[in-house]
Amino acid sequence: MSTEMLIGAWVATGLSLFMYSFLYKDNPFFKLGEHIYVGVSVGYGLVITYYEVMVKKLYAPMVQEGNWWLILPTILGLLVLARFIPALAWLSRISFAFIVGVGSGIAIPRVISSLILQQVQGTLKPLVTVGDGGVAWFTFAGLNTLLILVGVVSVLFYFFFSIEHTGVVHRVARVGIYFLMVSFGAAFGYTVMARMSLLIGRFDELIQYASPDYGYATLVLLAAVVVGLVWWERGRSPESDNG
Amino acid sequence: MKDFARRMLSLDRRLIFLLIAVVTLLPLLYPLGLPIRVSPEVRKIYDYMESLPEGSLFLLSLDFDPSSKPELYPMSIALLRHAFRKNLKVVGMTLWITGTSMAESVVAGVAQESGKEKGKDYVFLGYGPGGANVIISMGQDLYATFPTDYYGAKTAELPMLKEVRTLRDIQYVISLSAGSPGVETWYVYGKEKYGFELGGGCTAVSAPGLYPLIDTGQINGLLGGLRGAAEYETLVGVAGKATAGMDAQSATHFLIIVLIVVCNLFYFLTGQEGRRRG
Repeated sequence: MSTEMLIGAWVATGLSLFMYSFLYKDNPFFKLGEHIYVGVSVGYGLVITYYEVMVKKLYAPMVQEGNWWLILPTILGLLVLARFIPALAWLSRISFAFIVGVGSGIAIPRVISSLILQQVQGTLKPLVTVGDGGVAWFTFAGLNTLLILVGVVSVLFYFFFSIEHTGVVHRVARVGIYFLMVSFGAAFGYTVMARMSLLIGRFDELIQYASPDYGYATLVLLAAVVVGLVWWERGRSPESDNG
Repeated sequence: MKDFARRMLSLDRRLIFLLIAVVTLLPLLYPLGLPIRVSPEVRKIYDYMESLPEGSLFLLSLDFDPSSKPELYPMSIALLRHAFRKNLKVVGMTLWITGTSMAESVVAGVAQESGKEKGKDYVFLGYGPGGANVIISMGQDLYATFPTDYYGAKTAELPMLKEVRTLRDIQYVISLSAGSPGVETWYVYGKEKYGFELGGGCTAVSAPGLYPLIDTGQINGLLGGLRGAAEYETLVGVAGKATAGMDAQSATHFLIIVLIVVCNLFYFLTGQEGRRRG
């Protein structure tokens, strides 16, 4: 195994354990890991942006291939930075106007078509279908269609605040609340699944790095973090937890 | 009984963290081999990939970064293995700048493992800045959007991309996304305008929001979270990281369900006075 891989494994293991140490309580190991994460993310983002965008998409096409028209978007981009100079801040409005204008022009028709009209179309499916075999009155697909229809209408009623929720409106809005609750429950269930997947992913690597191939990185660093936390706790005054 | 219930509800929550850690760790160390049932939305993607003729162009957009690696990395490996096994021509790219190196390593890694040649059997275009604008631009001129691939080779001169001028020349696109830009962006700005078939893969958090797109046929299938990845691994027949993680996933879900039931039970046992005290 290469030295880079070994160093990478030890750094990854150490930082994972630092972050998990927060489950005990907020501590200097967690803070160190947190700050390293922020710093590395920003640094990595800057380097990749410089190489992938500034060099490959701007400098190379302009200087090496003579696509000098790229100077126009470059100027528009630079004008955004004029916001940092109060006297020239107004110049940035030109770029923002361009961004808002083009962005809205592209997004509005596409989003209306894709996420509103097509979704409405999906809601309005027939409950009864007529095919070669005659009329199909009720199928499982039909049950789904009915559920979607009732769900959409009742939830829309719930969010309709122009009239008082009494009588029939109240009852329909109440059904809407049940649909919303089911939807929140499903979303929460998926969120739990996602968070557990992240934990499983980290544990999977921590198990891998606990092997002799990686110099028992997980076990050594876990022991080090535990000793560090004990040492940190002993050095603190009892009032620290309260303040 | 009320006192016991009250004491249980005020237990140190770190005990629950410890319990979750143990229940996650044990199945990873000693796999149970629980069965994995393939859902229709995952099968649809697999079937569509199977139906593509040899040499068809398949674009995989890896729109995620390392923070979503446990869920989306296994998906990308399973999809790439399937694509290379079917001898599809693979175009890899990303709309997420912080995921560029990881996306390159997964595409190049699986290609090497499958004995595929760079530029001939697969290309990796790298990162394109602008999200939706990249997709629109690729729909008009792929060479102008990506004049060079990730490694600096001119895209117009790559043997694999000779016949590919725009997104209209791509037979199937799958976006594996951890948010925006991702599956929805590919649909709104890509599929509807340029007419290619689109499939999706996403983190479990985003899955409920994308299911309505399957129902309307806006995407032809969806791999949702680690479960989706494990199902696809089952279909491809290569058990990977997702399959290995599913036992732990099931065990933790079981524990969470038990905790929810037990805690609710204790909550109601505390009586009205206890509930008021909160």
